[in-house]
Amino acid sequence: MRYPHVFSPLKLNQLTLPNRIYSTAHAEVYAEPGGMPGDRYIRYYEEKAKGGLGMAICGGSSPVSIDVPQGSWRPVNLTTDRVIEPMARMAETCHRHGMKIMIQATHMGRRSAFAGDPWPHLVSPSGLREPVHRGNAKEIEIEDIRRIIKDFALAAKRVQKSGFDGIEISAAHQQLIDQFWSPRSNVRTDEWGGSLANRMRFGIEVLKAVRDAVGRDYCVGMRMCADEFHDNGLDHETCKEIAQAMAETGMIDFISVIGSGADTHNTLANCMPPMALPPEPFVKLAAGIKSVVKVPILHAQGIRDVSQAERLIAGGMIDMAGMTRAHIADPHILNKIREGREDQIRQCVGANHCIDRMYLGQDTLCIQNAATSREATMPHVITPTKGVKRKVVVVGAGPAGLEAARVSRSRGHDVVLFERSDVVGGQINLAAKAPQREQMAGIVRWFDMETKRLGVDLRLGIEATKDMILSEKPDIVVLAVGGQSNVEQIQGWGVKDGLAVSSWDILSGKVAPAESVLVYDGISTHAGFGTADYIASRGSAVEIVTPDVKVADDTGGTTFPIFYRRLYSQGIIPTPNHGLERVYAEGNKKIAVIRNEYTNQLEERIVDQVVIENGIFPNTALYWSLKDGSINRGQTDIDTLYAAEPQPALNETTGDGKYLLFRVGDCVSMHNIHAAIYDSLRLCKDF
Amino acid sequence: MSIPLGITLLFWLATAVLVAGLVRRALYWSSGQAAPVAWSGLLAIPKRYFVDLHHVVARDPYIARTHVAVAGGAVAALVLVGLNFGLALYSRTLDYAILVAAAVMLTGALFIWMRRLDAPSRLSRGGWSRLPFTLMAFAAGLGALVAVPADQISGAIALAASLLLITGSAELALGIGTGGPMKHAVAGLLHLAFHPRPERFNGERSTALKALNLKASDFGIAKPEDFTWNQLLSFDACVQCGKCEAACPAFAAGQPLNPKKLIQDLVAGLSSDSDEGYAGSPYPGLPIGNHSGAPDQIIVPGLIEQQTLWSCTTCRACVEECPMLIEHVDAIVGMRRNLNLTQGSAPGKATETLANLRETSTQGGYPTSARYTWAVDLDVVTAKPGSAHDVLLVAGEGAFDMRYQRTLRALVKILKAANVDFAVLGDQECDTGDIARRLGDEATFQNLANKNIATLNALQFKRIVTPDPHVLHSLKNEYPALGGKYDVSHHTTYLASLADDGKLALKMSGETRPLTYHDPCYLGRYNGEFEAPRALLRKLGIETKDMLRSGPRARCCGGGGGAPLTDIPGKQRIPDMRMADIREAGARVVAVGCPQCTAMLEGVAGDRADVLDIAELVADALEIQA
Repeated sequence: MRYPHVFSPLKLNQLTLPNRIYSTAHAEVYAEPGGMPGDRYIRYYEEKAKGGLGMAICGGSSPVSIDVPQGSWRPVNLTTDRVIEPMARMAETCHRHGMKIMIQATHMGRRSAFAGDPWPHLVSPSGLREPVHRGNAKEIEIEDIRRIIKDFALAAKRVQKSGFDGIEISAAHQQLIDQFWSPRSNVRTDEWGGSLANRMRFGIEVLKAVRDAVGRDYCVGMRMCADEFHDNGLDHETCKEIAQAMAETGMIDFISVIGSGADTHNTLANCMPPMALPPEPFVKLAAGIKSVVKVPILHAQGIRDVSQAERLIAGGMIDMAGMTRAHIADPHILNKIREGREDQIRQCVGANHCIDRMYLGQDTLCIQNAATSREATMPHVITPTKGVKRKVVVVGAGPAGLEAARVSRSRGHDVVLFERSDVVGGQINLAAKAPQREQMAGIVRWFDMETKRLGVDLRLGIEATKDMILSEKPDIVVLAVGGQSNVEQIQGWGVKDGLAVSSWDILSGKVAPAESVLVYDGISTHAGFGTADYIASRGSAVEIVTPDVKVADDTGGTTFPIFYRRLYSQGIIPTPNHGLERVYAEGNKKIAVIRNEYTNQLEERIVDQVVIENGIFPNTALYWSLKDGSINRGQTDIDTLYAAEPQPALNETTGDGKYLLFRVGDCVSMHNIHAAIYDSLRLCKDF
Repeated sequence: MSIPLGITLLFWLATAVLVAGLVRRALYWSSGQAAPVAWSGLLAIPKRYFVDLHHVVARDPYIARTHVAVAGGAVAALVLVGLNFGLALYSRTLDYAILVAAAVMLTGALFIWMRRLDAPSRLSRGGWSRLPFTLMAFAAGLGALVAVPADQISGAIALAASLLLITGSAELALGIGTGGPMKHAVAGLLHLAFHPRPERFNGERSTALKALNLKASDFGIAKPEDFTWNQLLSFDACVQCGKCEAACPAFAAGQPLNPKKLIQDLVAGLSSDSDEGYAGSPYPGLPIGNHSGAPDQIIVPGLIEQQTLWSCTTCRACVEECPMLIEHVDAIVGMRRNLNLTQGSAPGKATETLANLRETSTQGGYPTSARYTWAVDLDVVTAKPGSAHDVLLVAGEGAFDMRYQRTLRALVKILKAANVDFAVLGDQECDTGDIARRLGDEATFQNLANKNIATLNALQFKRIVTPDPHVLHSLKNEYPALGGKYDVSHHTTYLASLADDGKLALKMSGETRPLTYHDPCYLGRYNGEFEAPRALLRKLGIETKDMLRSGPRARCCGGGGGAPLTDIPGKQRIPDMRMADIREAGARVVAVGCPQCTAMLEGVAGDRADVLDIAELVADALEIQA
């Protein structure tokens, strides 16, 4: 029997969960206006249910009271009875596939910004400001406390009425309950503050009210932090005391444990551990809590595959493993294991594209799976076409080309994939060279295995020409040839004259880092800091200069703190708000002239090497050579593309030298990995 | 002395020699254990011979026809000689009748000889190569002597003919006493009369192993004399045609088992002989001539090596093929029983599995509470005393295997779609003990069976349905002897009946790749179910192309009888051979109906057909998908 612990049922109150893997509550940013789970929201969870997941807890930080602004993470609105009907539809959908569904309920307290509907005055035990959200709040009053406790009970009743299987009360991530617990946010001296017993009072009152509302047999859990990692915050021993006290009320059926506080940018980055952190970094904290309570312990954070989960459960550290990002990357993990297709699991690499988007107020999307949360239009499982079988030639095996080849081949077509270099992966291979970014290569690994398994005719080490492509007698040509490092945008940078090199030169190993280096990052994505980090980690002195307001500005809430840990610990000098004017040589030194964006003041830096990261410039030569000969003149019809409908040109008769031509990804204009993959999926799914 | 008188003397002399030989042989048989036999079996010989035995022989039309000619001619000639010469009638008319019979016999013998010119390797040589000549000698000699009136025959011809007749008569008369080829005629007929499984002649498949009386210290077969006397007799019936050898998957895989040699070794054992005189294919890898035995001597390893016994998959292909209706599997399991019950000796993973069964009631050492964890999200009801259900679904050991759980889940889906009121046993289900019994651990089998019977007898259900043919066989055929009598169906049988009754709305299957069906031994040969799986496939619009070895003559997957556990090395693996059969049939998908077959065939490395249970194919074609 494989994964015997993972595939053994778990009883939570009256519920029997079919296996030990679940999806934790996260802020999906999918709810309809007004906080209602709509079609997209339900389909997203239905896909996990179809994939064999035992349980999902949806609605990360779904508020129970109306004084919590919901705009930025679009949770489920538990403050109104209107939510019952769509939730009931959702419960019915999940149950049809055998998955249990719960929802997280919370009051955010100070963990928000006032600037948004309904423009509330936030509440917090002591009215102390929260750093991450700039959460100004008033000191909570007894009337507020009573109101909110009642709101919890009303919300729980709504959840129960909808047919959901349970409710998880959040006391994690510094929300109102743990704002009461934590000395960082609670300096009250009345019966709600001071001693631990007083600080726990609010949480216990909430549990009492909830339990009263839903009765003894309804599943109620609690999510809590097991160490805030702040000197003035909750430490692990205190959290154990809290867990014990909460469990001994007899009112909760499970505790979900996370590591790290979340009210600073730096701690927040721990909560959804990105690839820079080791696997399951905080499971020891969960095990610590498990050692003092009798209720089952659920734990997520950096559990990326089921063998990891099996080991942790078998080792008695936890009872159930949350694999949330893992299921965003591949909602069918458990069924693939059941069906002996474990090799086909698309494994989460911890790029945190999903959660970093959330912190920008954008919907959760997966860097490598463009179908996730687009279930209404994008298939997770590509079914073979019932129409004509075609010959598809894809040029370029970066993410766009690999996805185009994978999808076209899954549709049943003959696919030839040309790649100039000796390996597939394109720019991802460069991205994986940066320190602690190696796991980016996992994205390529999956595509490589899948295209091989499917039987894509891969031609490595061949730079495809027009003749080569046409001699394949293609019906469809998909160009995914990417671009080149965009370092010649400004002549004064002197790249042609050897005064500066590109980030590609460094990351690919073509050019060795010199002793003192100025890295100029024109676009502030992962590549610029990654290059600076790569050079610094080899012992060079590095200054990173960018015209953006801060270094790595376009990377997101759980990524830039990791970069900054490395930036400051290695002594990399951050110089934001400066553009690179020109580079000239002086002896064997390079002089970089930088200009302050706001004062126009010029400064010079004397370095051994100037390295430039400025995004990419599309490769278009092949396109122009093929455009005139194609039936559709290389045009992708955007009306149908954006409507996720088949391209009208697919109705044309192809073959005998007549072909359709499409472009995807960076060879059109610079996008990112997700966008490149989405380009191909939405185009090729109807081939 | 006149020729007729000489024939008369020869006839009575030969008869006397034959009777003496029979007595000698009967003394060997009598060293065996008493067995309840019906003497009326003697009267049933003609029917059993001409119907039951001939039914098997007729599968090889060439040999069937020649045997009819030789044996028919010989019997007719002998009866007529007995009349005409034995009773000294000396009728010329009868002479001509004898001549006709001898001519028929001669023709048949000629064809047997011709076949021997390019004999398949399964045929034994030695005395069996001599036989066509001595038969021809008998027929030619007798024919010549009766063809011409005695006073007109020339002296030289008469002498030559007489010598031929004497030679032929010696073969016929001495066979039984000396263990020659013609032993089969006498022993074979008596075996038909006193067959250990007489119910086979009533159209029953009779495949259940007989329970040991452990309380009476019956621990199986240690010595030849531990067989029942009619089992010993049955071994003597063997004609060494090697049909068993040609069908045996272990032999083909190069494992040290040859059912024909095994029977011949037991013949050597019952007659205090060695295997030196054996002139057939050896046990692969084991030389001939090193083994001997006696009725009162321990069989293993002096007469038969352990590894020979542990190579058997109990697939019954040998039994199915045997024209003399010999029961090889009973003999092998009988000897295994003694090894297991008295020495605890079983190779490979068998001991571990048996220990698991004793301690956990599962083969893999799992908690029984984990048997139905795959069904948690399917809301399957667990049977409890007091609540009645139409169907009790028994999953068996496959329930612990993630691959087989797919089949089980598919089956549950179908049962739900058909609105069948069913329940499972949940943690009350113990292993049926099938594998323990096949491995010879009768005690563990009986313990498990008794536990299950106690559970089942406390529940209310109309029938048991199982997707595991091994479970089917135990519950349906072997539990009745221990007091558990149930209506048990294989899932394919049950699903076919649901489909026939219009309770299963099926559309055409989406499976368009070429498909063949592999008959599981325990479903086909053991339980006679060849049709239901094929009927279901037809209902799905799937055209199957049968393999050369299919239906009753299907080749085993290698998974039966605990063979994957004992894992006796050979030259190739049985499932690889079966997959080659599948490939030869041009199939890319093989439909199965057994967890063992699924596991064995899916274990084949390299490019191979996909393995799908019939339930999976049916579930995918349900009109209404969940």
